[in-house]
Amino acid sequence: MSDDEVTLTIDGKSVTVPKGTKVVDAARRVNVDIPIFCYHEKIGPLGCCRMCLVEVEKIPKLMTACTLDATADMVVKTTTDKVEKAQRGVLELTLLNHPLDCPVCDKGGECPLQDNTFKHGPPDTRMEFHRHNDTKAAPLSPVITIDRERCIACQRCTAYSERIEQDSALVMLNRGFHNAVGTFNGEPYDTRFSGNVIDICPVGALTNTDFRFKARTWDLTNTATLCAHCGCNCNITMATRLNELMRIEARPNDAVDDGWICDKARWGHHFVHSKNKISAPRENNSLRENNAAGAKTVSLPTFPDNCTTENAARKIAEAFKKIVAEHGAQSIGFIGSPYGTNEENYLYQKLFRHGFGSNNIDHKPYHDTPGLPVNHYGFEQIETSNVVLLIASDPTEELPILDLRIKKAVTTRATRLVILNDQKIALDRYSSQSAQYKVGYDAAAIDAVTANLARELGESVPVDDANATGISAQDIKSLVETVRTSMKICVVYNPSALSKAAVAGVKRLLKMIAKIPTIECGAMPAAPMTNAVGAMDMGLLPDFYPGGVAMSEQEEIKKQWGENAPTAIGLSALEMIARAKTGQLKALLVHRANPVLDFPGGSQVADALRKLDLFVAHDMLETETTKLAHLVLPSNGPGYDEGTTTNIGGRVQARKKALATTRAPDWKIISLMLNALGDETDYRKVSDVTEEIARRVPGYQGISKKSVSKTGCDRDRVVSADEPVSDTPIQATKKDGGLRLRVATLLFAHDKILDASSKLAHHFQPSTAHLNEEDAQRLGVRDGDAIVLSAASVNVEAVAKVDNRCQSGGVVVPRVSDEQGANGLIDADGGAAWVKVSKV
Amino acid sequence: MTQILFKNINTADLHTMKVYEAQGGYRSLKKAFAMQPEEIVAAVKTSGLRGRGGAGFPTGLKWSFLAKDVFPRYLCCNADESEPGTCKDRELLLKNPHLLIEGMILCAYACRIETGYIYLRGEFHDLSVIMEQAIADAYAKGYLGENIFGGGFNFDLHTHLGAGAYICGEESALLNSLEGERGEPRMKPPFPAVEGLYAQPTIVNNVETLCVVPYIVNEGAEKYASIGTKKSAGTKLVSVSGHVKKPANYEVVLGTPVREIIYDLAGGIRDDNKLKAFIPGGSSVPMLPADQVDVLYDYESLAAAGTMLGSGAMIVIDDSVNIVETTLRLISFYMRESCGKCTPCREGTRWLYQIVEQIMQNAGQLEHIEKMEDICDTMATNTFCPLADACVSPVVSSIKYFRADYEKYFTNVSTSLA
Amino acid sequence: MSGFTFSDEQEKEITRIVAKYPFKKSAMLPLLTLVQRAEREVSPAAMVAISKKLDCSPAYVQSVMSFYTMYHAEKVGKYMILFCINISCQLNGCDKLLEYTAGKLGITVGETTPDGKFTLHREECLAACTEAPMMRVNDIYYGALTEQRIDDVLNSLD
Ligand SMILES: Cc1cc2nc3c(=O)[nH]c(=O)nc-3n(C[C@H](O)[C@H](O)[C@H](O)COP(=O)(O)O)c2cc1C
Ligand code: SF4
Ligand code: FES
Repeated sequence: MSDDEVTLTIDGKSVTVPKGTKVVDAARRVNVDIPIFCYHEKIGPLGCCRMCLVEVEKIPKLMTACTLDATADMVVKTTTDKVEKAQRGVLELTLLNHPLDCPVCDKGGECPLQDNTFKHGPPDTRMEFHRHNDTKAAPLSPVITIDRERCIACQRCTAYSERIEQDSALVMLNRGFHNAVGTFNGEPYDTRFSGNVIDICPVGALTNTDFRFKARTWDLTNTATLCAHCGCNCNITMATRLNELMRIEARPNDAVDDGWICDKARWGHHFVHSKNKISAPRENNSLRENNAAGAKTVSLPTFPDNCTTENAARKIAEAFKKIVAEHGAQSIGFIGSPYGTNEENYLYQKLFRHGFGSNNIDHKPYHDTPGLPVNHYGFEQIETSNVVLLIASDPTEELPILDLRIKKAVTTRATRLVILNDQKIALDRYSSQSAQYKVGYDAAAIDAVTANLARELGESVPVDDANATGISAQDIKSLVETVRTSMKICVVYNPSALSKAAVAGVKRLLKMIAKIPTIECGAMPAAPMTNAVGAMDMGLLPDFYPGGVAMSEQEEIKKQWGENAPTAIGLSALEMIARAKTGQLKALLVHRANPVLDFPGGSQVADALRKLDLFVAHDMLETETTKLAHLVLPSNGPGYDEGTTTNIGGRVQARKKALATTRAPDWKIISLMLNALGDETDYRKVSDVTEEIARRVPGYQGISKKSVSKTGCDRDRVVSADEPVSDTPIQATKKDGGLRLRVATLLFAHDKILDASSKLAHHFQPSTAHLNEEDAQRLGVRDGDAIVLSAASVNVEAVAKVDNRCQSGGVVVPRVSDEQGANGLIDADGGAAWVKVSKV
Repeated sequence: MTQILFKNINTADLHTMKVYEAQGGYRSLKKAFAMQPEEIVAAVKTSGLRGRGGAGFPTGLKWSFLAKDVFPRYLCCNADESEPGTCKDRELLLKNPHLLIEGMILCAYACRIETGYIYLRGEFHDLSVIMEQAIADAYAKGYLGENIFGGGFNFDLHTHLGAGAYICGEESALLNSLEGERGEPRMKPPFPAVEGLYAQPTIVNNVETLCVVPYIVNEGAEKYASIGTKKSAGTKLVSVSGHVKKPANYEVVLGTPVREIIYDLAGGIRDDNKLKAFIPGGSSVPMLPADQVDVLYDYESLAAAGTMLGSGAMIVIDDSVNIVETTLRLISFYMRESCGKCTPCREGTRWLYQIVEQIMQNAGQLEHIEKMEDICDTMATNTFCPLADACVSPVVSSIKYFRADYEKYFTNVSTSLA
Repeated sequence: MSGFTFSDEQEKEITRIVAKYPFKKSAMLPLLTLVQRAEREVSPAAMVAISKKLDCSPAYVQSVMSFYTMYHAEKVGKYMILFCINISCQLNGCDKLLEYTAGKLGITVGETTPDGKFTLHREECLAACTEAPMMRVNDIYYGALTEQRIDDVLNSLD
């Protein structure tokens, strides 16, 4: 036992716990279940409900176990007559004005009030007056229903709003008996994390409007799985009934979500049963005709009527093989998905490398390299770091649970948050310093930090062009000072919002910090997409094999992947599109990605794809991209998927299927393609693929079905070889009166996942462009003006918001919907994006 | 009778700096500043002064509990005076505001505190005007502010008004309220002396408590300790109200028989009615029946009699009253003032109210008494703060001593049924 | 929500108030009081204005505001009569006097006269028990009430 621990006795059982542990939690460790209502481990003690009264030796009055710190030699008794009488008394009072509507209450069957009453309550009530009448079933928001009669005023939900969300949107109004949970002026409670109050409400006062009256809880089948929306990979429970998804709840995992999920996780699941779902292989005959007319070089395979997915897969593999035979491996390509599972991604890269001999593999329109030169920190490390440096990342919109973790660290652990970004973000409020570089000057800003550190360390100084960044030398200095004097620092960066030079710059910065002996340094590559880290780890890259093995490591590659493994650097996703345009790329397979909408270039991407001789899309929903595909393969998607994903913290967890289908899963389809090419591996279960990954992918040795079950398992650090970095970032020359564009991510955007019928549609926002005052003045634009942003041939309409969200010379455009087409404004060549702003 | 706080309370214009100083006001400061802060804390300990706000906690001991070496620290004067029956602080503030300022400066010096707040209940707007004037005058004189008397000691003092909430008299609720929050009590521990206002070490003392300190510094701790009884040193302001001929605040030496307070000081029962009951320490303490009128007015004697000295409010009830009426009024008070944070208090106060109301409508039965006792048993000591215990006090004591008053209503039931 | 701005004078007062505290949230009650005294109510718009001053959510302001009985969501009369009904006043006959006052004003307790002049509230102990029965009209305490004295007080107010 260390100094930080105490040993106490609870109901005769001895238990040793860390100092500061509450008695109620200590009791749980020895399976003593003290009844509670208001206490929640993650929210902290409130002491409201008085349900947890216990007897403590030497203390005359009963104590609340939820507020009481365990101390050495304390003797606690939880089942004495005195305790039981108090429990009965407290329960009688708790139930006094609680309606007896259990038969029609959604909480029935999983209600702590029912359970506690059953175990500890009085057999009947002595209440002889009318129970208090209050509003029944009123909307607290479009997705939450509040039943004020059922509320026992435990304050869990309001404390959650105050302590966890930290925006006090849900508060306790009035006083005493008239206490009521509410919002300002009756407005809807519609924060990003509002739904968690449903999970924590110990009675049926806060219920899920979408789930109301759909099923009795005991009729549900629960599956422990993962959220598939963002790179956090929060743990969830999917409840189904008759093979239909009924609701999603949080499934606490301290290593990831800390017990919370965002509202997109909870309510953004209706796409699972969407009518836009691709359910069978399909060929696009009109495109076939075009092909014939255009006299393309390849004859397309045909799908017979009612073609099975298996059959289709085989035909596609053969068609690609034929093209490779005729035009070489350089003529085909694969754009994979940062949303796919590791198993799917692994198999796809195997198919293209091993099966077709091509390294034309990628999954993203930006540049990034796998692995880190420092430790890969997970979510829990955020809380133990004393400095978090956030670069180009906006967790609030991109990775909501990371946002909660950072807030928690800052407010409860005295962690200092330092922000380097080109736009103001919601977390600025929590930062000790927030520096904004000019849009497009990310590399210069990061290099300036590295240069200042290098100077202090007496290292050779990289090019330092701090002046150009728009951040004052003083601010850079103080930022560097915070970094330099940190003890443990976690650098969180969003590669998808950084230029190629900036991503390289981050890695150089990390190496520089690692040179300071007093600092423990780690990083978290925080791309918003679900499995961006996994996609990198699985080698969905033109220049790296799985596990961060660079093309230059030929021996290693040959050892693992055979003598014939291709080792020439392949084409990036953007390069593939460019080659398609010129006709050099003949065939492309796109898995769960929508380049037409998500890649720079807009209609140019579509034009390029149309030129392909063979274009296959493998996806779950119809998109702008699937429409252009000659052949479409169905992908079952979240709810049906099984496999593993790797979150931004490097944690590998199991995505399990909650819904049954006869359709082949993606991994099966890919393995059939592999088989069609002569690979004899017989993957019977997805875990067979997982096992192969463990054998062949550096970093994944410890991963198995068993090790990732329940709460997942951190993969080992992936280290990638150094790659040469161009020292000077590309600084495109300013175009006439143009502004540099930054497209920002929004959590609730109106896209394929959250369609018009979405339960979260109330969050959708109009197209907005955030301008700096200086530019607005020059352009004669005022707050609220309708404007048009144009670049190349794309025009995007927006309402101007003059709020200095970025420095002058830039404009921030949040991506609000698919229709808005914001990404189309970005040049297809991947350089800095310039837009012209004009008033309508 | 020894008069410490009220010695010159009716001197004209005592609230002005001029008159106050002429009466010897602020002279304790010179003496105090020549002492080490710890010596003053020790003196207050020796004096035996106990908190006059209700709990009667030894003041010097509280001061010595301040977390060591943690600064800044705060001093909050509890001028929330909301306990029914209590109005002594109001008289002190109204007539002698400088005495409080002087006491607060001494406390601040002794406890190394540089900022103080006087938390006045919202209804005391008039007093806040008087207090602010007095504070301004003290600043002008150099008694407050920076580097007082050139001794390097700084002390800033501000008033802060509440806005209508009895619970804000509870010290931790007061701190929440002062921080701009709902006046719900805080969890203890940590106690304010360790983590109080803005999570810093904080002293919360009642107005009367702080007003005693200048006397202790001027006259010496022993002198104060020699007044009153061994364990209840000094004098106490008692607000005598209800059915007496001369309701007023009286300063009595602790240990004075209650009979003397009611019959001599307050002139006896109005209309020469018979005394029925008295509540010796404000509405939150158990009432006693007339036959206990010889109990001595000090902490120990009242505790031995099963009640408490509380805030020092003597509410006198004559035999024209059915105690159930007063009890219902007090339950109603606690029901309305419960912050609602904890279940037994929020629900229990209301249930008790409903039951007693029903009894008074002649719809009560004997079993209701049992039920009330049982509810009180669940509420007492099981709640977050003592407000629920306060509500239980009149209920349980009225049942104990005046069960017949309840039964009167039951009798009516049976006769009407007959 | 717009439509509420502090006057220049109030702005100055706010600056003075905020300076009293190391954390500005402490100015919550003083600011609410400032608004209540000026407007005789605290409107949602005012709560928004306060939330901006103190850097907190409007819901938080409302949560605090609704806890305290001296803030009113609906406009109260020019004269706010708080009539004490607690124990010492009860023992001294306040119930009858309160009834008398309500009758005189032609309203029931809790209401405001149609001309907006008086609001009559039943109030808990106001700490003037030795002068029971008593009431507070705006900032002034009136003790030893009788029907006659109530008449005099109310008639003296214009
Ligand atoms: C419900 C409740 C109300 C209280 N009201 C007051 C009050 O109005 N004035 C006061 O001085 N103390 C009041 N107290 C006592 C305070 O909590 C605290 O004990 C006191 O301010 C400490 O000062 P003292 O040690 O000088 O008495 C109240 C306590 C409770 C539980
Ligand atoms: S006992 Fe009453 S006043 Fe005290 S915390 Fe509980 S509800 Fe609030
Ligand atoms: S769980 Fe302990 S008081 Fe509610």
